[in-house]
Amino acid sequence: MGGEPRRPLVAFEAEDLGYDNQVVLSRLALALYPGERVALLGPSGAGKSTLLEALRRRLGDSAAWCPQQHGLVPQLAVYHNIYMGRLAEHSALANLWNLVRPLAGPWRQVAELCDALGLAGLMRRPVGQLSGGQRQRVAIARALYQQQELFLGDEPVASIDPHQALRLLALIEARHATAVIALHYRELALSHFDRVWGLRDGQLVIDAPARDLTLADLDGLYPDADSSADEAIDRGQP
Amino acid sequence: MSQAVLRQPEPRPGWLAGQSSGVRLARHSLTLVALAVILVPFADLAILTRDPWGELARMARGLAWPAWGALESPLEALGLTVAVALWGTLGGMLLGFPLALLFARSRLVRAGCAFVRAIHELFWALLFLQVFGLSAATALMALAIPYAGIFAKVYAEILEQLPGAPRDALPLGVGRLSRFVYAELPLAWARLAAYTRYRFECGLRASVLLGFVGLPTLGFQLETAFREGRYHEAGALLWLFYLLIASLPWWGHRRLIPLLLLGGALLLGPWPTVDGSLLWRFASQDIWPSALLDGDWRGLIDWLARIPELGPAIGNTLLLGLLGSVGALLVALALWPLACRHFGNPATRLAGRGLLIFLRSTPELMLAFFFLLLLGPSLLPAWLALALHNGALIAFLVARHADAITPGMPGVNASGRLAYELLPRLYPGMLALLYYRAEVILRETAILGMLGVATLGYYIDANFEYLLFDVAFFLLLITAALNIAVDALSRRLRPRETAIIDDPCQR
Amino acid sequence: MRWLAASALVTSTMALTLFAQGAVADTLHFTAIPDEDQSRLVERFSKVADYLEERLDVEVEYVPVKSYGATVTAFRNNQVQLAWFGGLSGVQARRLVPGSEALAQGSEDARFKSYFIAHRSTGLERAEELPDAIEGMSLTFGSRTSTSGRLMPEHFLRQRFGEAPDELFSRVGYSGDHSRTIALVEAGTWDLGAVNYTVWDAAVEDGRVDTDKVEVIWTTPAYPDYNWTLRGDVDEQFGEGFTEKVRAALLEMDDPELLASFPREDFIPADNALYAPIEDVAEELGLLR
Repeated sequence: MGGEPRRPLVAFEAEDLGYDNQVVLSRLALALYPGERVALLGPSGAGKSTLLEALRRRLGDSAAWCPQQHGLVPQLAVYHNIYMGRLAEHSALANLWNLVRPLAGPWRQVAELCDALGLAGLMRRPVGQLSGGQRQRVAIARALYQQQELFLGDEPVASIDPHQALRLLALIEARHATAVIALHYRELALSHFDRVWGLRDGQLVIDAPARDLTLADLDGLYPDADSSADEAIDRGQP
Repeated sequence: MSQAVLRQPEPRPGWLAGQSSGVRLARHSLTLVALAVILVPFADLAILTRDPWGELARMARGLAWPAWGALESPLEALGLTVAVALWGTLGGMLLGFPLALLFARSRLVRAGCAFVRAIHELFWALLFLQVFGLSAATALMALAIPYAGIFAKVYAEILEQLPGAPRDALPLGVGRLSRFVYAELPLAWARLAAYTRYRFECGLRASVLLGFVGLPTLGFQLETAFREGRYHEAGALLWLFYLLIASLPWWGHRRLIPLLLLGGALLLGPWPTVDGSLLWRFASQDIWPSALLDGDWRGLIDWLARIPELGPAIGNTLLLGLLGSVGALLVALALWPLACRHFGNPATRLAGRGLLIFLRSTPELMLAFFFLLLLGPSLLPAWLALALHNGALIAFLVARHADAITPGMPGVNASGRLAYELLPRLYPGMLALLYYRAEVILRETAILGMLGVATLGYYIDANFEYLLFDVAFFLLLITAALNIAVDALSRRLRPRETAIIDDPCQR
Repeated sequence: MRWLAASALVTSTMALTLFAQGAVADTLHFTAIPDEDQSRLVERFSKVADYLEERLDVEVEYVPVKSYGATVTAFRNNQVQLAWFGGLSGVQARRLVPGSEALAQGSEDARFKSYFIAHRSTGLERAEELPDAIEGMSLTFGSRTSTSGRLMPEHFLRQRFGEAPDELFSRVGYSGDHSRTIALVEAGTWDLGAVNYTVWDAAVEDGRVDTDKVEVIWTTPAYPDYNWTLRGDVDEQFGEGFTEKVRAALLEMDDPELLASFPREDFIPADNALYAPIEDVAEELGLLR
């Protein structure tokens, strides 16, 4: 990281975040700078999804968004689910026609992405018939297909084994200069990210460069370290 | 145990006291039953025929030995029945779907849909009969218009219950149509299709009933044969109707629908020559009291004063609605174990299931008509018909839900299984379903008036016959208002503490 | 939002074009009030259709309907051009279709009558005057707008007792047609019934009624009843002079088999004014405005 003063992409200055009059994150202060890769950690219910949602609202359509797997439409094919990443760029008529017969250009681009993500040969299959790991990769593919500078991901590599997760994170990194990704694997947070934001009980308790942190620091985020196994089924509220 | 602490046991609860949900529902139901019992003396339940058993025997013989040869072109009537149901449902769908998208946003649309829903198909038919005559247009509109209201509401409910995540996952700036076809329609498709299918089945029954007001569907010959006591012919027609319903899964297959639609289009007819001036006169003058159009308030009051006995008619309608609902509850309670895997043996279950399917696929009006011939024109035949049809419908669904339950304690005897294992789990859903049916039951009570039971429908039918369209239309409005009010009331009273069997296809 | 409006527009245009393409009728359709068993109606009117076809040189088709009201509606909507109406339904129809004309009536119809019939168990006997004993019994009329099965019987009941039927009887019903009235009183569902005298006489003659169970107790005074009514615009549709051709065909119907099925001796000329008394009574009873 260079030392020159930079303008943040987003900055929160002691703001309350939440929904329906319910404050989830109180008096939050943080800033996201271009070129930063941020890992977002915290137990379920700590406010990770709320923070990502707020970032997404601030950043508008300059951010590629990868929600948890239930953002997919199980009845539609893998191709259509990925195509939805750029739904806004086509006319309604083109979108309708694409349901009847896939458009040539998008079909080619989506096929390339699928190859890269190990989804080759599944493009026509309804997402409802895929395994959990495959669905997660479809969700990532959809975010990559948006081709933005910035990547926002809500647990995009949950329920994927660490090896695969590593590969997918590399793919995301290769295509985006900036990223904020909610994670479970603390080790990955330290090894693959520039910065860590740690949330606990609606407070930002860690905001530090990854190189300054140890696993023990991160353990402090979780009230009971043993419970981290439960986190695999964390569903994080939108 | 120390003998010093001989504590007083917790006081035994009084009769039906306590706040557990079971006891509360029991009190709720008993209040309903008590209300019905108190009001029964006000209902006219006389048996007027001198020889009901002889008549019943004749009917049974007719059903047992149907006279197939005596039927006049039954296939044509059958084809028309299916064609009207198909195209009527399709019309309702095409009108209802756009309305469903506006449903949540527009109070006007919601009110309009509630209104068209509140008037029974047969009353719409009576209304359209005046301008389109005995034609396919009358039949189709009689189905399509109320169904548009129903589709709008149910489709809107289905769309509203969709998970929001796929919609939220879309990039910003996606147009309404694209969002709908990618992130909403695919998710809703299965439920929309299932409901449309169910509505088509309802449409099939309604299409048969259109024969009762003179459109040449299956009901036309059925009514005539029954009324004139030609029970062997009536039996044949009735069997034809049951065959039609029972074979629906085969001929009503998804892939055959376009073919059926095309074939149906050729069968539909005759098409009326629409006289625009007649239509306009009907809509702008005939159905409104002339005093109202002239702005003559005193005349309007006179007009209102001459409307016959509105009080007793409304009273009878509500009374029959209450008795019918309570009767349906009792029938459902009595009948559901018959078709449930936890009781009896395969033979009794088969018979029980057969009985329930038979009762629930026979339209109320037809059952009432049958009891009317048997017992004479009091409230009794209507009550029996409503209780049996709706009770069987609820019992069938409850039995299906019971089949999915595995009792926690094996080896309990039947009564214990019923009272401790199954009923506590099923009863809340059953009661909730009954409250949904209450609206349908009330709508049916009005229509049973056409058979001579002194509900609002009796006077509507009479005034159509006298060609006093203003009075008939006014009474229709009253009926609609009554239905809307009862629907709102039952929504409030409906127990909501438990997960209900809440599938629109079952209401 | 715009595509919604567009789809609604397309749907409604489709519906309208569908409904507007009605068939142009070059067939004369006629119907009759369903005052008797349907099977008898079809039988008797298909023969009449054949006769009319021969005399008028156009196709003639009989349209069966379910109720008196439907007959009038079909006439009003030009789905039938000719109809065999009762006194009251004829008046209703001619009021709704200006220019339509009563062409003919049976010679019996100038002086038509109704019978009050009673189940034996009531113990009522045939009398010169309706007995006071009928008070509190149950009575069924025929169709609500039947002249001989409701309108005139009610008129004479009111004249005799000065009360509306609902006040006079314990229970009042409408069976729908004359055959059904006879069957219901015979079965004892109702104590009393009011029927068309020609239907009763024909039923007794054919042995279709058990006179040990039900008998006539009173005959009403005479009044005008059934009539053939034709729409005023048939000349435009079928050619100049068509009305006169229809009138002649009806008046010259002399085949006893055809006439017996009505049952009438022969047909005589009629006009709208003949039915003024029916109109007055109907207005008095609130059945016409």
